[in-house]
Amino acid sequence: MDPLFLAYSYFRRRKFKECTDICTTLLEKNPYDQAAWTLKTRALTGQVYVDEVDVDEEGIAEMVMDDNAIANVSRPGTSLRKPGTSGQAGPSPGVRPTSQSGRPLSGFVRPGTQGGRPGTMEQAIRTPRTAHTARPVTSSSGRFVRLGTASMLSTPDGPFINLARLNFSKYAARPNLAKALFEYIFHHENDIRNALELAALATEACQFKDWWWKVQLAKCYYRLGMYRDSEKQLKSALKHQDMVDIFLYLGKVYVRLDQPLTAVEMYKQGLEKFPGETTLLTGIARIHEGLTEMDKAVKFYKDVLHFDNMHVEAIACIATHHFYTDQPEVALKYYRRLLQMGVYNAELFNNLGLCCFYAQQYDMTLTCFERALSLADDQTLADVWFNIGHVALGICDHNLAYQCFRLTLASNNDHAEAYNNLGVLELKRGHVEARLAFQEFLLISERRPAGHRPTLGSVGTRTYEPTKSVAVRFL
Amino acid sequence: MLVPIFSLKLNHKVSPRTVAIGRFDGVHPSLTCGTTAGKVLIHSPHVRAQAQPAGGATSMGDLSDINLLNINQQVVSIATGRLTDGSEKDTLVVGTATNVMAYDVDNNTDIFYRDAPDGANAIVVGRLGSIESPVAIVGGNCSIQGFDQKGEETYWTVTGDNVCSLELVDFNGNGQNELIVGSEDFDIRVFKEDEIMAEMTETEAITALCRMQDSRFGYALANGTVGVYDRSTRYWRIKSKNQAISIHGYDLDSDGVEELITGWSNGKIDARSDRTGEVIFKDNFSQAVAGIVQGDYRMDAGSTVEQLICVSVDGEVRGYNPAPPGLAGNLMDTNLEQDTIRELSQRKQNLMLELKNYEENAKANTQLQTTLSVNPGDNSKPPHVELYISTTNDTVIRAVLIFAEGIFDGESHVVHPSPSALSGTLRVPVVPPKDVPVDLHIKALIGHKGSTQFHVFELTRQLPRFSMYSLITEPGIPEPRSSVTMTLNERPQRLLMWINQSFLLNEDITGELDVDVSFLSLRGSGPLVIRMTQTGQLTIMTDDMDLAGDIIQALAEFLNLEDLLTTADFPVEIETLKQILIKVDEYHRVRQKLTAEMADHSNLIRSMVVRAEDARLMGDMRSMRKGYMELFDLNRDLINGYTIRCNNHQELLSCLKQVNQIIQRAGRLRVGRYKTQVVNACRTAIKNNNTSSLYKIIHTGMA
Repeated sequence: MDPLFLAYSYFRRRKFKECTDICTTLLEKNPYDQAAWTLKTRALTGQVYVDEVDVDEEGIAEMVMDDNAIANVSRPGTSLRKPGTSGQAGPSPGVRPTSQSGRPLSGFVRPGTQGGRPGTMEQAIRTPRTAHTARPVTSSSGRFVRLGTASMLSTPDGPFINLARLNFSKYAARPNLAKALFEYIFHHENDIRNALELAALATEACQFKDWWWKVQLAKCYYRLGMYRDSEKQLKSALKHQDMVDIFLYLGKVYVRLDQPLTAVEMYKQGLEKFPGETTLLTGIARIHEGLTEMDKAVKFYKDVLHFDNMHVEAIACIATHHFYTDQPEVALKYYRRLLQMGVYNAELFNNLGLCCFYAQQYDMTLTCFERALSLADDQTLADVWFNIGHVALGICDHNLAYQCFRLTLASNNDHAEAYNNLGVLELKRGHVEARLAFQEFLLISERRPAGHRPTLGSVGTRTYEPTKSVAVRFL
Repeated sequence: MLVPIFSLKLNHKVSPRTVAIGRFDGVHPSLTCGTTAGKVLIHSPHVRAQAQPAGGATSMGDLSDINLLNINQQVVSIATGRLTDGSEKDTLVVGTATNVMAYDVDNNTDIFYRDAPDGANAIVVGRLGSIESPVAIVGGNCSIQGFDQKGEETYWTVTGDNVCSLELVDFNGNGQNELIVGSEDFDIRVFKEDEIMAEMTETEAITALCRMQDSRFGYALANGTVGVYDRSTRYWRIKSKNQAISIHGYDLDSDGVEELITGWSNGKIDARSDRTGEVIFKDNFSQAVAGIVQGDYRMDAGSTVEQLICVSVDGEVRGYNPAPPGLAGNLMDTNLEQDTIRELSQRKQNLMLELKNYEENAKANTQLQTTLSVNPGDNSKPPHVELYISTTNDTVIRAVLIFAEGIFDGESHVVHPSPSALSGTLRVPVVPPKDVPVDLHIKALIGHKGSTQFHVFELTRQLPRFSMYSLITEPGIPEPRSSVTMTLNERPQRLLMWINQSFLLNEDITGELDVDVSFLSLRGSGPLVIRMTQTGQLTIMTDDMDLAGDIIQALAEFLNLEDLLTTADFPVEIETLKQILIKVDEYHRVRQKLTAEMADHSNLIRSMVVRAEDARLMGDMRSMRKGYMELFDLNRDLINGYTIRCNNHQELLSCLKQVNQIIQRAGRLRVGRYKTQVVNACRTAIKNNNTSSLYKIIHTGMA
């Protein structure tokens, strides 16, 4: 069989490693084989390719040293930086657990949903050490750098393409090579500056008429933190071609500029061109969620389900909303729907267990938690035990509850809520000294702003219920 | 005596000329000022009180009425107004050196964000001419752009130099606004959409313009002059040693006519009657005034009176209500009787002096003669126009005081020969810097030798428009390479008439057949040849494109031409333009690369700050020290890079300015709709990067 054909076949079956190997041998024979070169470039890119639309990590540096937002103090409900000010809709933060910034936990784990906006640099730096998700220092380090360097290590004879020696203007004039090369530089090498240069030359070579290059330019600018330039390129690309991607990127840019309403406006413009596009609807819903406008968020999630009834994120978020608005039976239905669709993990069973408990289907409760325990990994184990402890409190089995909270601490010694509840239990038993010890631990591990910390006295009956939501990760 | 009805401190520095007021939520007025460090301050005392969420969490920032917007660039200009159709809300438009942003303050959303490579020295928001939607008009280096609510460019034109001030006034009373533009080349131009309706020449850069009632508008110059125009006639002007920072039309004495309120650089505020310029009210700030606006800032129930609000550079705000009708004419803190007595005694003094004068110079049947001529100059002095003044008898000229706008520094010139060199004649060199007709108001002190009282002769001479050109009679001068040709439906005699009027000639040129006249410019821009055949073919040959434009405009005015199409051949200018366009491309490319590099560096700096702080929190002082050392080095690199970028940007700006100027000159070579056509066609060609058609448009006047 023709080796190039075989390589193509491997490429289409996403067997990038094999494809790369064949291309390497082909290139050894004939270093000027453009087809093999392009294919190898694409295969190497494919190994590390991540959809840019959904990857959005805001580093510590961006968060603390943010100077992109225009208004320092904006009207409530118009900024993502001070959430909770418009919170008339949805349950109070005492009922629904919130992230550090005071924003309610989402039903779905996305980049950026877990951490909040810290107030000071010190808080920002300390937070990742205590939470289980590490926040990168800047968005240009973090995951992107890891992706880039990891792929370099796998090629022992050095990088496949030496960027320093590349004559960009030569490649920019050849559209068939330029696009593959750009993606390689952008995704594989993670060298944004060179990628930008290539894109700038290429877009000039096609007389500024190719929307694709403009979007790529915008991607580069976005990564470099030049959001205004990014916006300009995207708007110009939009004049050539209506693409869902462009609207999504524009939404991202506006979120970074802290103009959520403009972002929603952009998504709505996109929806006029692409009615029922679920990614755009989800974008709107996410922003409303970020602004703690839960009613609106749920409305848009329901719209998403109208067009795509298998949309995991929408189902999970609606379920979480119902759970925290005291409708565990409805939430149970949604979670069961997720189960039917084949989502099978600890978080889901954990949530199912809690729903069953609140819907008074006690027979199912412990079974669900058992399943959750068997599926849980290190990260979720503590939460599952905490929730079992909470159930035990609910049925007044204080001994079981005590054991469960202890087990929570065994898997995560930084679990503030568990310390809190243990303290309350000790108080009930009359061990004042032990309670004080737990309170001390609580103060150390609790990093929440003072306003959201439950006072010990009132917690006796109402404890925290952090139902870790269904974590379907993108990566 | 009028006193402020409120005063407050913003506790922020306010940049001069960046003060505006707007109802960003459609109801409550907010004072908006540009402050240092690229921020815009919004003071909204009324919004906060109502929007306070009941029992909601309030942080520190909510306690104050002041909201700061990060622009991250030096704020050059600010304007507010209704940009979106059918909305009550005002839009904030902020101009920086490179960008223009329209921002909805209430919703925290951008309306548009545009690059303005020509800068944004002045912005005005409103309706212009018959353009359907409101536009934000931005004046930059020689160019004026208008953006609608979508950020689309709906209006574009060029002007002679950097725009300093803009205002929308219903100039001709047709119910539509015309755009008044003040620029650094001392001209006030009135645009009816694309077309220039009127042009007034002042003596300095026009730093501020303000709309008053009907077709009246006030203006302020960089040399401290303020005045009022009604259409193209000037009512009055006064000059001060301080600079007028901000002017505003406001009816302070409730007489139904707006006064001109001026805020000065020494902190003085005065109100002057629009008719006479007489001061009717004044007040003092401790610091320079930054801006004057008007708005209903107290929001008293049942009262719709708008206050006059003055802001000083250190953030002091004072508001004045219009005077109650009973107080009219008595706003100042003065004693009327004392003033009258002083005035009367002054007049008595003057009359006594005059009487004495007549006693001494009883036989004053002297006459004063003046002549204007062109002096081509010699080694000791540059070429100039000479004003020759002489008396008809044995009296001597003690001193001559000449007042003329825009010719002398400080507008007036005094010649007083030493007592030993007194004579009956005097020669004064005059060098008009621009080709405009100027009135010379001459006051000569004439008397006998040794007398202490002199008689003052006052007379006015007009300097013709093209006075700095001397006639060449002998043939054989090299002909200029560039020329403009056109066809006129006029006899050559009419042209001769015009030449005799506009040039400074010893005797009138006459002729029956073809006209062929040559001049030499005293400003060193080479010869000027004007030829006209019996068939009406007119050729103007000069290497100076500005001069050709001036001649065509003046001639068109004389001959009452509405439209005139010409063919221009300026090989030198075209060559310059070619080179500039190549340079612009280069600068753009370099700029992009530098910008990306800087963004990359600043990302690195951020991560280094975080790492160094991290080390500090962990108590690892050694790596913290190391981190901060590295940070210092990188920071220095960044600053160096910034300097390079700045220089690059400056070069780019000057190139773009030259391009705009060439377009403007090409436009001035045509009259009426052809002028508009040239400017618009050039803009389209530049937008589409179509250089070859640009040259063709400049040459033929058509796309």
